[in-house]
Amino acid sequence: MDYFSEGLTKAVALLLALDPETFSAVGATASVTALALAVSLLLGLPLGFALGHFRFPGKRGARLFVDWMLSLPTVVIGLIVYAFLTARGPLGEWGLLFTVPGMAVGLTLLGLPIIISMTATAVESTDSRLTDTVLSLGADRWQLLLATLSEARFAMALAAATAFGRIVSEVGIAMMVGGNIKWQTRTITTAIALETGRGEFATGIALGIVLMIVALVVNLLVGLLRGRSSETGRRRA
Amino acid sequence: MSAPLYQLRGVEAGYGEASGLVSVLHVPELTIERGSILGLVGHNGSGKSTLLKLLGFLLSARVGEMFFDGGLVDAAALRAGHLLRRRAVLLGQDTCLLKRSVASNVAFGLKLRGQDAPQELLAEALGLVGLDYKDFGPRSWRELSGGEARRVALAARLVLKPEALLLDEPTSGLDRASIGHVQRAVLAARESRGATLVISSHDVDWLKSCADRVLLVDEGRITGSL
Repeated sequence: MDYFSEGLTKAVALLLALDPETFSAVGATASVTALALAVSLLLGLPLGFALGHFRFPGKRGARLFVDWMLSLPTVVIGLIVYAFLTARGPLGEWGLLFTVPGMAVGLTLLGLPIIISMTATAVESTDSRLTDTVLSLGADRWQLLLATLSEARFAMALAAATAFGRIVSEVGIAMMVGGNIKWQTRTITTAIALETGRGEFATGIALGIVLMIVALVVNLLVGLLRGRSSETGRRRA
Repeated sequence: MSAPLYQLRGVEAGYGEASGLVSVLHVPELTIERGSILGLVGHNGSGKSTLLKLLGFLLSARVGEMFFDGGLVDAAALRAGHLLRRRAVLLGQDTCLLKRSVASNVAFGLKLRGQDAPQELLAEALGLVGLDYKDFGPRSWRELSGGEARRVALAARLVLKPEALLLDEPTSGLDRASIGHVQRAVLAARESRGATLVISSHDVDWLKSCADRVLLVDEGRITGSL
């Protein structure tokens, strides 16, 4: 237990001293998570709305594909993205391998299916009477889209929080595509894996504490949003 | 003399996908004059709601011709259907409130039209259905009873001052006091602005007392008048 308590004490000291290496990993995590989440939301919200709202040939197949993407192991995503971004790969000339934007590409592939799937489910489960109600008040197609998304706002925020939780805690893609380069692409999760392997238990714990605080906040948020989004008692008017 | 607001000729309408269309409404001829009140009476499932959805441009005719204010309502006109729906507003049986405050619900249609929604206007509309703005305006949608929600939904349509107001059983499920408010509000829409009203209701006595014509609808056809 001494080993553990000593590590914990050192970890708190590192955090209080604003240790540059520790906070470099926190900064890299924040950057890559923000970028991947922004792209996931930008693409995922309209795609999720389209998947949930419209009827079109192949909709079932599209839904199956998104659900399949949800279950892909992260190392496989990392492997595929690595193969595309490596110097010999089709996107090698973009020079994205072992960079924050490159990691964001991989993590977007992790977050995007979550946003699409949860948004589609949220739109599908909005009151079936909503469309006629909004249209009868004079909405055009765009206003209908915005009103539907607005009605599903808590469920979509839940999707964003869920995707954030997955992206921020991911290690396989970050390791393979980012390369775990100190001061650059070393994130909290990859740093924990590295430091623990090197016997630097205190640094690992310090970063683990940051990650656990983030996870706690995200889970509280998810719990709150889940309660709001499950309010289904819409009044028949 | 101005054209009738609605003219239907040989219209059939229904529901379902292309492979399994089911016609539930057949209207050989129907004219609704501007500023008139048309009552619809019939059993549940007789086709009243389908006719109102057709008149409210939420459903298109599969067969036949429909004219609104002299213009043919064809596929091209329905591509900009929101412009038609802003002139003929439906309060359906399935209408629901949005997950927002009462004031926001009443203001919603005005904002869709890019219009201001001053408090006085919202208060006037809520007042017409017997709801006090100061008390009800800030309330959340989830704080309303079913009857109050129905009246808020009607206020949200009255505030738009449409040329045609289409009401599908507007007093269904309301208590006696609420029914009185709704009936007075509906009639005021014609008296003050000359709105055309099409109302389906099981309250035959009320319809006969206020409507210019009351049509019987049965199995998707207009079978007579009262």
